[in-house]
Amino acid sequence: MKQYRTHLLVCAGTGCVSCGSFKIKEALEQEVRKRNLQDEVLVIATGCNGFCERGPILLVQPDGVFYQQLKVEDVPHLVEEHLLKGRPVKKLMYVPPATKEPIPKMMDIEFFKHQRLIVLRNRGRIDPEKIDEYIGFDGYQAMAKALTEMTSDEIIAEITASGLRGRGGAGFPTGKKWQACRREKATPKYLICNGDEGDPGAFMDRSVLEADPHAVLEGMVIGAKAIDAEKGFIYIRNEYPLALKRVEIAIGQARDYGLLGKDILESGFNFDIEIVQGAGAFVSGEETALIASVEGRIAMPRQRPPYPAQKGHMGKPTTINNVETLATVPNIIRRGSEWFSSLGTETSKGTKIFSLVGKINNTGLVEVPMGISLRDIIFGIGGGIPDDRKFKAVQIGGPSGGCLPQSKLDLPIDYESLTAAGSIMGSGGMIVMDDKTCMVDIAKYFLNFLRDESCGKCVSCREGTQRMWEIVKGISDGKGRLSDIDLLEELATACMDASMCGLGQTAANPVLSTLKYFKNEYNEHIKKRKCSALVCKEIVSSPCQYICPIDQEASSYIALIAQKNYEEAFRIIMKDNPLPSVCSRVCHHPCEADCRAGESGEAISIRSLKRFVMDWADKNGINYVPEPVGQNREKVAIIGSGPAGLTAAYYLARKGFRPTIFECLSVAGGTLAVGIPDHRLPKDVLDKEIERIRNAGVEIRTGVVLGKDVSIDKLLREGYKAVFCATGAGKSLKMGIPGEDSECVLHSLEYLRSVNLGKKIPVGKRVCVVGGGNSAIDSARAALRDPDCDRVAIFYRRTKAEMPALAEEVDAAIEEGIDVQFLVAPVKVVTKGGRAAAIECVRMKLGEKDDSGRRKPVPIEGSNFIYELDTLILAISERPDTSSYIGEGDEIRRHGENIIIDEETAMTTRPGVFAGGDNVTGPNTVVEAIAAGKLAAETIEKFIAGQPVRREYRLNRPSVYVQPWILSEEEADKARRPERKHIPVAHRRKNFQEVELGFSEEEAVQEARRCLRCDLETEDAKKAIGASK
Amino acid sequence: MIEFIMNGLKVRAEEGWTVLEAARFYGLEIPTLCYNEGLTPWGGCRLCLVEIGERPKAKLVSSCTYRAEEGLVVRTDTKRVWTARRMMVELMIAMAPGSKQLQDLASQFGVTQVRFKPKNEECILCGLCVRMCAEQMDGRAIGFQNRGHKRKISTPFDIRSEECRLCGACIYICPACQLRCQGPQAETVLCNSCLTMDPSCLDHFDDLQCWMYDAGRCGTCVREKPTAGK
Repeated sequence: MKQYRTHLLVCAGTGCVSCGSFKIKEALEQEVRKRNLQDEVLVIATGCNGFCERGPILLVQPDGVFYQQLKVEDVPHLVEEHLLKGRPVKKLMYVPPATKEPIPKMMDIEFFKHQRLIVLRNRGRIDPEKIDEYIGFDGYQAMAKALTEMTSDEIIAEITASGLRGRGGAGFPTGKKWQACRREKATPKYLICNGDEGDPGAFMDRSVLEADPHAVLEGMVIGAKAIDAEKGFIYIRNEYPLALKRVEIAIGQARDYGLLGKDILESGFNFDIEIVQGAGAFVSGEETALIASVEGRIAMPRQRPPYPAQKGHMGKPTTINNVETLATVPNIIRRGSEWFSSLGTETSKGTKIFSLVGKINNTGLVEVPMGISLRDIIFGIGGGIPDDRKFKAVQIGGPSGGCLPQSKLDLPIDYESLTAAGSIMGSGGMIVMDDKTCMVDIAKYFLNFLRDESCGKCVSCREGTQRMWEIVKGISDGKGRLSDIDLLEELATACMDASMCGLGQTAANPVLSTLKYFKNEYNEHIKKRKCSALVCKEIVSSPCQYICPIDQEASSYIALIAQKNYEEAFRIIMKDNPLPSVCSRVCHHPCEADCRAGESGEAISIRSLKRFVMDWADKNGINYVPEPVGQNREKVAIIGSGPAGLTAAYYLARKGFRPTIFECLSVAGGTLAVGIPDHRLPKDVLDKEIERIRNAGVEIRTGVVLGKDVSIDKLLREGYKAVFCATGAGKSLKMGIPGEDSECVLHSLEYLRSVNLGKKIPVGKRVCVVGGGNSAIDSARAALRDPDCDRVAIFYRRTKAEMPALAEEVDAAIEEGIDVQFLVAPVKVVTKGGRAAAIECVRMKLGEKDDSGRRKPVPIEGSNFIYELDTLILAISERPDTSSYIGEGDEIRRHGENIIIDEETAMTTRPGVFAGGDNVTGPNTVVEAIAAGKLAAETIEKFIAGQPVRREYRLNRPSVYVQPWILSEEEADKARRPERKHIPVAHRRKNFQEVELGFSEEEAVQEARRCLRCDLETEDAKKAIGASK
Repeated sequence: MIEFIMNGLKVRAEEGWTVLEAARFYGLEIPTLCYNEGLTPWGGCRLCLVEIGERPKAKLVSSCTYRAEEGLVVRTDTKRVWTARRMMVELMIAMAPGSKQLQDLASQFGVTQVRFKPKNEECILCGLCVRMCAEQMDGRAIGFQNRGHKRKISTPFDIRSEECRLCGACIYICPACQLRCQGPQAETVLCNSCLTMDPSCLDHFDDLQCWMYDAGRCGTCVREKPTAGK
């Protein structure tokens, strides 16, 4: 036989073939010939390597170097570098996401390192279309042993002793199955190999048939000898053309070699195999249905008993084994049952193949010993969840399996443990889901599959799956009722109990397991009409509006801008937001983070579009205060004039109440007025908004301190029917390092307040800010605008990715010349004569992830340094200060300083007293505070009217449907998100001029037309738009 | 002859009898819908469910297709059986509320609400017509099409079959499209005007406590006017 110095093993499993591995093979052969290497290098097409994610794959042997995601263009370079010059090509190697360092050898890659290959031992190693290569790796030895040295009983005893259980899913002991068939007197007997693999996301059988067809044939001959069958069938799905082709070739070769047919190996044993192609019904995997299909009838299960072992194919004793089971058999016969049973757990022996798919870094096929934990498979071999998202669930066992949550990650996998946890082993499909997966949607998906694939004979299964799907679809459409969950459970039980075959008996599993572990998601969909994973389309409608805490109809006003109808856009904005100009400048815009346009390109610049409308209205003198709906209703007291207080007052006034805001400072606006400097939010913008709120009928009394000038009791006595506390979180937290109480150490809120109120605190030339939130950035940028200040630095102990401040604010700070240093933590304040003179810091590195999912910074020993300064501003965090007005023993309960409210009503533990905003949540965003104000207004009205105080949840829908603006393909290609414009950096020193500039009309309209109009994807919208045509 | 236990009684049956045949031989009532003595048992309607085996491994099987075996333990009217049967009736009534046979079954089993949107398909896919045509009329003019929720009964390629002799046997045997019940109300999809069984014994016992094991025939737990929406 000819010797080659190098073998190039090109993966030719279906996954790699679909990525073009045959083209790679051709190119390699061509290149090898071109370089005159054909006598030294051999190119071979092998079966699936399993790492399907990375196809096309090339393995260079004997070096063991692993190349992935090859393109035809890479081939010449690769041949020249690796084969001629002996330099492996780094850029074509696998790079793990964590370390970013290319790994040359296959066996050093996490995906391969932890696998235990028995069934798949020949994958990626032999050419599946060449029987000699299989024989070269001990192929057909087991068969020879079984036929020449062992009796049928010995074979069965060996398999029984090994503890092998059926790999098709149910896990029936293979030895017992063979024994049952052997006992039967009737002849002839049949052996059927079940290669009908219909579950979404499963491709174990296909891969085995493609990579090592002879192993299956060998297992079949051994099984046939054990049960005394002369005829066998391999049932292969029509959808597996490559597997079919390779099995055909293998059978032909085996016959030619005398390994199939009459008198195999002169042992006197006859056995031949016929291929039967299935037509793709999932239910054909059920053994009695499969027999019906082999016989040429409709694949419909029938009542067992009689079992196939008694009456199977053509009414004769028949054994049906799964592909993987049969491929395991030769290994057991060759290496002994003791070796095999040493692997695995008490009840489940050997290895199992899983197809790892879904939200996982390393998609592919893995073979692992039984008893391995889910965590090892998903996070070890599978490499975890892409984009560092959170693991939510893993669906095991195909449509009839179940979803297991995070708490089951350490479960050692075997047949029993999975069943106990509410799933099944099934054939081994493993679908990993992250937090962007909605479990109601998953249940809907699998029920949809099952209602299609039920054979339709039993009422319980056919109608059961259909009705369960209808109910779950209703829930996912936001039309669910609470009684639905009981009905689902009832139906699921009936479907399981009353159905004849395994399909119906397990069809309820997707519902039952999601109900078991994720009932809160069902409840959320039903009670709140919310889908936190943002998946259920009818509920989410447009994500921008859905995610907005105050339901701003972003999609509507964007659509109106696209139509150049700015006045209507202004009305839409004003309807839900009393502080739109403020929001259009300082909102943290979660709408843009979840914008669907951002998933494949750039998110729509929603905040800037709002700003454009507000600027336009301001310029054109358009103002809009809606007529109040009621008149001269009860008095309501509101404490604090921040965004929450202003909003609650505005909406109460619109309902006809007489709200009075009590503000302790001399100006109204709370944090908006004294916490955010003018370069972000100019005073006149805020004042105009507050003026509008006053005009709506709100009285604002400044300089009134709660706890000193007024008290809650007094207000209620004076005839205020309800009190809304929105006092914010105004107390700065300390760091707990030595020297922080010395002179020249300021807290950010104190500093920002002085800047905003025009009471200048001298900061000197050098300012250092510690912290990473918006108030840290605001303080730093404000200090930079101080005429005396020369340089400003920010120290933050984590990295930019973890920084709570808005990314664009951080960028602007860096742009303005602020020295932002990440991974730096202060150790102590160095004082000179009682004044802070410097700060000692230590550099940090990121360690393990903590409970919040963020990687915890740990100090680097000996990296301390001193930073000299004139003023130190601490911006660690803030907390509410409620002790001053809520006394000990008061009816209003608190958690620390935070007021406890009922989230559904915003009411505190004292009836009639409501709270919202930062004094409930701790430091939070402006828009969340506005949302709290809106909720309070809604529930206060109900409370005063004596109605049950409960929050109402409605489906997220725009109030108007605007015709979409259709961009031509060319326009859509060209459209880009415009850069936000700012005044030049040079103009930003020593003044507080607003930095961000708005869009021009042209920019705004162009940008608005880029919107994907997710709001039009709901059924309601389609109807509304259809009707308006 | 084989011996097995049915509702606690030791019974004997011919080899090859189904549990349903044995039960009927002993005069025990098991409801059926897709079963007909002249046709091959089908096991599709799941009304003839009985519970076999010992708990916790006990399971429900359709008695029309399950062969009696030596030593088998069968219970024909347990709570579990009744719960499943009720759900089957509810599911089928939602398919064909006009069927008198189904309305009678609903009354018999105390099904007083239908929580599914009625389909009014006037067919419950029990397959009696298909078997009737093939087995008794030697016609094979109709058969099942598709699977799952798309399943229907029709002629090949939905065109008039040359095998069909218009004998009408399919219509004769149909439980859904013949003998319309005039009672059902649009809101409830149920008639419930007939006698409605409401066995209170199932609240206290696992099995029906009927006199002489004659499920539902003793009459003591029949309500005359059902309360709607129970």
